[in-house]
This record gives sequence, structure tokens and C-alpha cells, in this order.
Amino acid sequence: MWRQLAGPHWRPFTVLAACILLLAALDAGQGAFLSAATAYSTLQIFATVSLVTLGLGLTMMIREFDLSVVGMYGMAGCIAVLTGTEHPWLGFFLALAIGLAAGIAQGFIIVRLNLSSVGVTLGGLLVFVGIAFVLTESRSLPYDNLAVALLLNERFGGIFSIRSVVALAFFASAAMIFAWTRLGRDIIAIGSDRRAAMTTGVKVDALIIGIFAFSGLCAALSGVLLSYSLASASPAGLADVIAPAAAGAILGGISLGGGTGRPLGIAAGALTLAVLRSGLNAVGAPPFVNDIAMGAVLLTVAVLDGPDLARRLIVVRRLARRSPTA
Amino acid sequence: MQEVLSVWGVSKAYPGVTALEDVSFSLRRGEIRALCGENGAGKSTLVKILMGLVAPDRGSIAINGQTQVMRSPQQAQGLGLGLVAQELSLAPHLSILDNIWLGSAEVPFLHRRAKLRLRAQQALATLGLADWDLDRPVGSLTIGQRQLIEIARLLARDARVLILDEPTATLSDADIDRILGILRGLRAQGRSIIYVTHRLGEVFELCDSVTVLRNGAHVTTGPVSEITRAQLVELMLGRSFNDMYPKAAARADRGARMIVNNLRVPSAVHDFSMVAPRGCIVCIAGQIGSGANIVTRALAGLVPSATGNVMVDGRPMRLGSVPHCVGRNVLFISDDRAAEGLFPQLTVLDNLVASRLSAGARMGVLSWRELRRIGASLAQRVGVDRKRLTSQSNTLSGGNQQKLLFGRALASTQPGVLLMNEPTRGIDVGARAEIYRIMQELCDLGAALVMTSSDLDEVVGIADIVITLYRGRVVARYQGDDIAMASILSDITHITHSIRSVA
Amino acid sequence: MTKNSAAGTDVAVRAGARTRLDRAPLFAWLQTIGIVILVAVILATPGFLAGPSILALLTTVSFIGCVAIGMTLITISGNIMSFALGATVGVTAMVFILATNRLGFGAGLLVGVIFGSLLTGLQGLLIGSVRANPIIISIAALALIYGVTQVFSEKGTIYADQGTVPALAKGKIAGVPIEFVVFLVSAVIAQFILSATRFGRNLFMVGSSFRAAEAVGVITWRTITGAYLWAGFFTSLAGIMLAIRYDSANMDYGVAYDYDAIAAVLVGGTAIGGGGGSALRTFAGAMVIAAVQVMLLLKGLRQEWQYLAAGLIVLAVIVLQTRGSGR
Repeated sequence: MWRQLAGPHWRPFTVLAACILLLAALDAGQGAFLSAATAYSTLQIFATVSLVTLGLGLTMMIREFDLSVVGMYGMAGCIAVLTGTEHPWLGFFLALAIGLAAGIAQGFIIVRLNLSSVGVTLGGLLVFVGIAFVLTESRSLPYDNLAVALLLNERFGGIFSIRSVVALAFFASAAMIFAWTRLGRDIIAIGSDRRAAMTTGVKVDALIIGIFAFSGLCAALSGVLLSYSLASASPAGLADVIAPAAAGAILGGISLGGGTGRPLGIAAGALTLAVLRSGLNAVGAPPFVNDIAMGAVLLTVAVLDGPDLARRLIVVRRLARRSPTA
Repeated sequence: MQEVLSVWGVSKAYPGVTALEDVSFSLRRGEIRALCGENGAGKSTLVKILMGLVAPDRGSIAINGQTQVMRSPQQAQGLGLGLVAQELSLAPHLSILDNIWLGSAEVPFLHRRAKLRLRAQQALATLGLADWDLDRPVGSLTIGQRQLIEIARLLARDARVLILDEPTATLSDADIDRILGILRGLRAQGRSIIYVTHRLGEVFELCDSVTVLRNGAHVTTGPVSEITRAQLVELMLGRSFNDMYPKAAARADRGARMIVNNLRVPSAVHDFSMVAPRGCIVCIAGQIGSGANIVTRALAGLVPSATGNVMVDGRPMRLGSVPHCVGRNVLFISDDRAAEGLFPQLTVLDNLVASRLSAGARMGVLSWRELRRIGASLAQRVGVDRKRLTSQSNTLSGGNQQKLLFGRALASTQPGVLLMNEPTRGIDVGARAEIYRIMQELCDLGAALVMTSSDLDEVVGIADIVITLYRGRVVARYQGDDIAMASILSDITHITHSIRSVA
Repeated sequence: MTKNSAAGTDVAVRAGARTRLDRAPLFAWLQTIGIVILVAVILATPGFLAGPSILALLTTVSFIGCVAIGMTLITISGNIMSFALGATVGVTAMVFILATNRLGFGAGLLVGVIFGSLLTGLQGLLIGSVRANPIIISIAALALIYGVTQVFSEKGTIYADQGTVPALAKGKIAGVPIEFVVFLVSAVIAQFILSATRFGRNLFMVGSSFRAAEAVGVITWRTITGAYLWAGFFTSLAGIMLAIRYDSANMDYGVAYDYDAIAAVLVGGTAIGGGGGSALRTFAGAMVIAAVQVMLLLKGLRQEWQYLAAGLIVLAVIVLQTRGSGR
């Protein structure tokens, strides 16, 4: 049973549980961590980054990487704020549409021209950032529809807000689609062995474009909700996104070799990071602990997932055995 | 009895090479047909045409009496054909059930359907694997078991004609017995099987009939009971013998450049030993799964788990470190020149002098004048136009690219050992002749050449010493006049079944 | 990053070769045309060649440019890019100021450069020895650098003590800002390393085909570690120059430099897949992007359009690049 808990399917949840227990222990009964307020702030932090984590995680699952989420995040927020003062829904859907279109465009370029996704999405990233700066004239824009801002963040049920519920609902839908439809099977196949997927007739090209479209959509959705709820948009983005997103995906079970990871696992990974951040804050730890913990996790996983690790260990073992006789 | 598959006059030519010429045969229900022929005989082209992957230039195909134009693999599957290729198409992270239905047009959007599960279950039952858990990830299966899942995939999609391409190449004896039993069971159900193989022993053990191809042409089709093993070998090889191999001057037995004892690579090579004399070409002959390629890689330092005793020029050489082997003048040319030999974006010059960068160098700074001189001379020696020195190497033809790799080997100042895997694979006749000339030149300089090749004409034509391998073990050694095509072929195809030792 | 190498059919291979051949001259033509247009527009823009705008351009481009030179080595080695170089700029600046305050200018320079080199070199060691994913390692380093610097300085600014930094270091040489001279010299040194040393050739080989380099006997982990060490060296120069100019250091230095640097590398014509490139061309790439930005500024377009222009140029370059497959 222990091995199963450590296995890729359950590990994100085990890690999440471990973190919660750890923080509860640190809290030592003071009630700072185990409180509704902390749960609320955890879910708020979750809502900010988790959808980007999902989109990025799916691209990582098929052994690609969507750098442009960073730029789309900011650009979507700016577009929504600029056009959504009178009609919030207009700004919302416009930003989502642009996110979707941009994702499709990038996916199309990657697939048709057979280019590296890192290169193309890097270009996309720079273009989105540029557009955001142009639209906002390099300023932070205030969002005057404060009613929407308050509504999005209004706390209900003790720990939820509309923002966090939207994020959770998105994850739930993604999880259901992934588990119950053939999309999920095909995507896993592409990540597991792309050649095998192509040979057996999986529509690899269409799915890759779809995944990048979804990633763009997720980034846009996150950006819009964040900007509305903070009542401002900044072309440089309002939150540091790439590191928590990658870390969340990896904690969520995405292996750099592809094929592993599920939406629910990614949710657990993103939730773990959110728990760490708000929990450490609640028990009074300084913010740097968060950055260091995240960096350490990414570093460890990257090294352990390194393809040549086994080879190096054989060599090291050989050298160690040889030195007494040398 | 109805003919379930018929092929008439199928021909296919690529620029410069005729893959198939007017091939015709037919297959009955419940028949297991062996498809035999040397590498390049046209077997894989024929299979691709049957599966709709490639369109023939001429000819027609009929399935159950109806002429069909094969357009795509999906269509072929729909008509009842199925292929288990040499390279398996399974996604290790998905379950057995998901892999059986992977990519099939029959899977609906909401993929969990009881009917599909039932059919998969029945397919496994047909193979005698009813107790296997459909939800187990394929990654946890052995390679023999994975092969069975590929067959199950064909059965679940109701394939009536199964094409198996070298199914037993990488299997253990127990796995082979199991598969042969399963195929007999499928035959009893009225399915037909096309069994593409080099393993002539299995042809006689399992198949009802055999079709032989040679150089793209259909040689014969007939019942296995009416042909002897010797006749089969003769038909595959034909009478003509290439004269393209330079007649090696009788090489007196010179000293040994490399002596190998007890080379072992876990699960691949068991107890390999060899002596590579100066100025001689040693050929290690074996099929896929024989471990021949792994032997050379291990001797080159590319296999960290290899163990054994290797002496080069009288001094021991360590295994597992490429720089060390290179330092001892043991060089390697891979069979995968695209991924492991050439530097595609670098120039021809860069590729040629890759191992000679220290020439004329002072304190780490290169001497480009010296390198250009060396490059020019190497280019001339291997027959590459000096004007191409500044072109990117991926603009060269396959033959010229291979010549570059040989040029690299010529670049070392002292003759050593050159290890090569399939040195002339995929190369046209003209370039081949040049490469044999270069190999000759290396021998004259005193180097020892050790190569692997699946082209038996080449092995017989150029080798001074031949070592035959079957599943990681040495079968026999031949020298000089003892080298004969028939005996080599028997060895590597395990036709005598004399080695059925416990693995 | 791709493990599966598809054994393509004859047709596919030939088609791929054809596209490769066709795009190379196309790209070269576009580059030449682009530069000709750029020079023409520059000469036609009033005020471009005037003193202040040129000087400002030269200074600004030098900071990013040094980082770009370092990034070039990483890209050539086949490791795409690093997200940690920008943060390295900031932290090296802070280390430099601290060391200068305590040990004097000369020692400060030495400590700063060694620190930056080792910090990046360590990442290279991990990437080179086990082939860890370079993007993830750099993101991890980014988080760790920000985290650890917060432990020591809580995101504040560190100031240089009076008189520790010589005024000479802030001036000009032959009318050109000293930062630009450093940038130029860095490009020349890096180019020398790339084209005239054995290490440089090894770098190209490793980036072109890792397995082929191994088969030839290149000690790949050493080569990659070396590339990152040098990248750290050039990056630390940028951090030190910033600290000198502003007499202070702050973790805001270098924010987003990674993106500007990789843009310069790509516009200069280095392939993102590795195995090709040149430090001098990165130099040109950085200058081109900066020139375009200044030119837009002088034409009356606001600063925002610079970012967009840079982004569009980079996207166009990537799409047109000759080396197709990177997946």
C-alpha cells in the first residue's frame, strides 16, 4: 500500500496531505493555520495560479512547453479591464476568445511547421507582452467596476469565493472529460509514446493544437478573473506565474518524460503550493521559505527525472569500487 | 476454400531502386504463410502496401474476392487486415484495455463502453490470457507480453488476416513457444496469418506454406512440406554473387590488435570472446536481438553495464567510458548515423576533424590552418568534393555522410581498432564500393576492423573472420575459406535448434 | 528533449531534406534585406544619429547584451535558454556591492565575477551530468535565488559606500560609454572561445547532436558545465556594471532580462535547437532590436510599441528559422 501511495497516481494527494499535516503541526494548536480564514486565502491563491498550472501541465504532459502563458495572463487581464468596465461579460468573453485564438495559432504553427514549442511560445510570449503594453500605454489600469471586483472575491460558505469556485469547477470538468472521454486516452498516449499514437491512428496534430488552445484559454481565464477581482490590470502581469505553475504541475504528477499526470493530480499540486504559501504565512514564516521550498522541489524532481541519472550512478558506483584497488 | 487475400502483379519503385516487381500470390482461410527473403528483398514494402501505408505503382489487391484500393491503415483494418510491426505501438502509461482500442475509429467520445471491454476480454481469452487484468498499465508488462497485447488488438478489431513482422526477434524461448501455440489456435479459428521472418526454424515448425521474395521479385510460393531447408536457403540467396567486394590479399596472421574475453552485457550478450588481428576485418553476423550491435557498442565504451576483459595492443582497456576508448584509439561508427554519428548543422569540415581538434592546437586554441589542411586531405581520401567542406553536412547524401564518418576514423594518427555497426546500410552501390575501398585502406595501415552486418553478401564478401551470434551467444567462428553463406545463415537463424539452453 | 526518434519513410526524409535546403537561402536573403531596410530607415530618421539618443542606446543595450552573450552559449549547447540569468544579474550586483564595501573595488570585481560564474555553473553541472531538463532547472534556480536573497536582504537596496567605486568606472572610453566597451569586448571574447578553442567546437558538437558528441569522445558534462560557467561570467559583468552605474544594487535589476536576452540571441540568427550560432551575431541582434526600439521612439511612437516590435521580430525569426525540428 505504501508503494501505491508514493506512486504517480496518488503521490500528489499524499504530498498535499503531508503538507497540511506538517503545517498543522507547526501551528501547534494556535488555530492560525486550521482556520476558515486560512482556508479562504488558500483557495484564493489557488484560484490565481491553478488554471495556468492546468494549461501548462497539459502541454508538459505531451512533452511540450507553453511559455506564452506568462504573457497571455497579463494581456487577457488588460483586455478585459479595458473593454469590460460597462459590460463585464463583454470583456470577459473577449479576453477568453483571444486566449483561445492565440493558443490555436501557436499550436498550428508548432504542428504545421514542425517547430519547437519553446521557441514559438517564446515568440508568442513577447508578442503578448508587447500587445499588453501597447493597449495599456505602459500603465497599470484601474478597473472601475468595483461591484464586479467585490462580487468575485465575496466570501461565501466560509471559505469559497466565486473565483475559487470557478477554478474548482474548471478542474472538475477537466477531470471528468479526461477520465470519461477518449480525449483523455489519446492525450496520455501522445505523451506516453507519440510515435505509437501516430501509428495507431490517434489524431495527434489536432490534439496538440487543441492542447495549446486550452492552455491559452486557461491563462486568459485566470488573467481576467484576477484583474477583475483586484480591480486593476498591469501589462507586466500581476503575479509571478511561471515558477508556481511549473512547480504545481510537477507536484501534480507531471513527469518530464511525458505521459503521467491527471487534472485532479494537478489540482492537488496547485493546492499544495497554495496551502504552503498561505499556511506558512499564517504561522508567521517569512515569505522566502515559499520560494526556497518551491525551488528545492523543482530542482529535486528535475534531477531525479534526468535520463542519465541511472548511468551516472553506475559510473559513480564503479569509481567507488575501483578506488581502493587503484 | 475461399481465398481471403489475393495479390496480382504488385510493383513499386522508388527513385533508383525497384522495391517490388510483379509480385503475385494468394492466401487461403486458415493458412499460415511465411514470407521470407533477405534484407531488401521487398518484404516490408509488400507489407506496407497491404496495410495501405504505401500505394503500389501497378497491380491489384483483392480481399475475400473483392478488389480493393488500399488507401489508409484505417481502411485496411476495416477490411480485416492487421499488422503487428517490429517496433511495437503501445503507450506504456495506458492500460491493456486502452491500448487495445487506441486510435480505433470504433471508440466513441464517452469511451468507457461495456461492449468494447467485452470484446477486449474475448480477445484476451482467445489468446489464452483470460486471467489478465484489463486495467493493468502496459508499462508493467514484459516485451513478450506486450507483443501479445498487439495481437489482442488485432483480434478485438476482428482481423481475419494478421501480418506479423519478425514477431520473435526479441523473445525468450518460452515466449516463442507461447506465441507459436497461440498462432496455431488462431489458424484453427479460420484466421490467416502472414508470418514475416528470418527464423527459418520457425518457418518449418509453424507455417503451412512459404512465399520467397528476392530482389523485389516473387521467387516461389509453395507448401512447406514440399521444400527442404537447404532449398529454402538457396532460393532466398539465389545464385548470383556480387563481385563488388575487393579481393582481399591473403592476409598473413598478424598480431592481435584487440583481444576480448568474457564480454557480458546483462540480458543481451553472454560470454562473448574474440580476437581482432591487425589488418583484418572481423564480421559479427547476427539478426535483430542477437546482440551483435551491442557487442560493438560495449567495446566502444557506450554501454556502462558491460563487463569483461579487453586488451588493446597488449594493454587492458576499460569498458564504459568513451573518452578512454577513444584515447586508446578504439573508434566507433554507429548504425544510426543521423542521431549518433553526424553533426547535422555543422559543416563537412567540422565533422571530419571532430576527433582531431588537438592537431596543431596550443593551450586549447585551435589551429584552423592545420585543421583545414587535415580536412582537405581527408575529404580527398574518402572521395568527398573539397568544395563541399563548408557546406552543412546534412545537405550531403547518405553515402557521402557515411564517408564523412569514415574520414573521421582515418583522421587518427595511429591505426587502432574501428568498430562499425551496419556500415553500408541505406547506401547506394557507388558509395558502398568507395567505403569498402576505405576499409581496405584502413586495414593496410594496420588497423583492426570489427563490424556487424545483416547483409550476408557483404559479410561473406569482405570479412576475413566471421563470428556468428544467436541471442547473445557465439555460435561459431569461421576464417578464410570456411566462410560460407549457407552456414552463416543457418547459425544466425537458429535453424538447427541446437542451442536451446536455459536463458 | 525528444526521446522518440521516428524512423520515417523514404518520402518523409526526402521531403524534410528538401525543406531544409529551401529555407536556408530564404532566411539569409530576409536577413540581408531586413538589415538594408533598417540602415536606410535609421539614416532617414531625424535625430537618430544625434548624441544623446545614441549614447542612451549604447548604454542600455550593453547590460542586456552581456546577458545575451552568456545566453548564446547556453543556446548553442542545446539547452535552449535559462530563466535564471536575470535574477543572477541582480544577486551578483548585490554581492559585488557587499564585497566592494568590505574589501575594495578590485576584490569586489573578482568576488562578483566568481560568484556569478559558479552560481550558473552549478546549474550547468546538474544539467550536463544527468541531463536534467534545463528549463525546469533554471526555473528552480530562479525561485531559489529569489528566496535565498530574501533571507539576506529582505528585497531592499544595498548602497555602495562613498568612494569605493572609482569615478573612472562610470565614464567613457574614446567617447563611448564604458559599458558598451565591456559589451563589445565580451562579444569578441565569447566569439573567440566559440570559434577558436577546442571547448568551443565541443560546445557546437554537443548542441548539434548530444549522442554523436558522446560517441566521438567529447566529455559532455564538462562541456555543458563550462558553457554555463561562461554564461554566468558574462551575466555577472552586467550585474556589476549596473551596480557601478547606480552605486547600488537591488533584486529588481535584471528582471525580465532573460526574455530580452533570448530575443537578441534569436534575432541574431542562433538556432533555438542548438548546434549553431555566434556571439558576434548576438551582438548584432541586440543592436538591431535596440535600434528598432529607439527608431520607433524617435518616430513618435510611444515606448510600448518597442516591446511589440521586438516580439514580432522574434516570432518572425523563429518561424523562419532554418532548423525545423525541435520536438
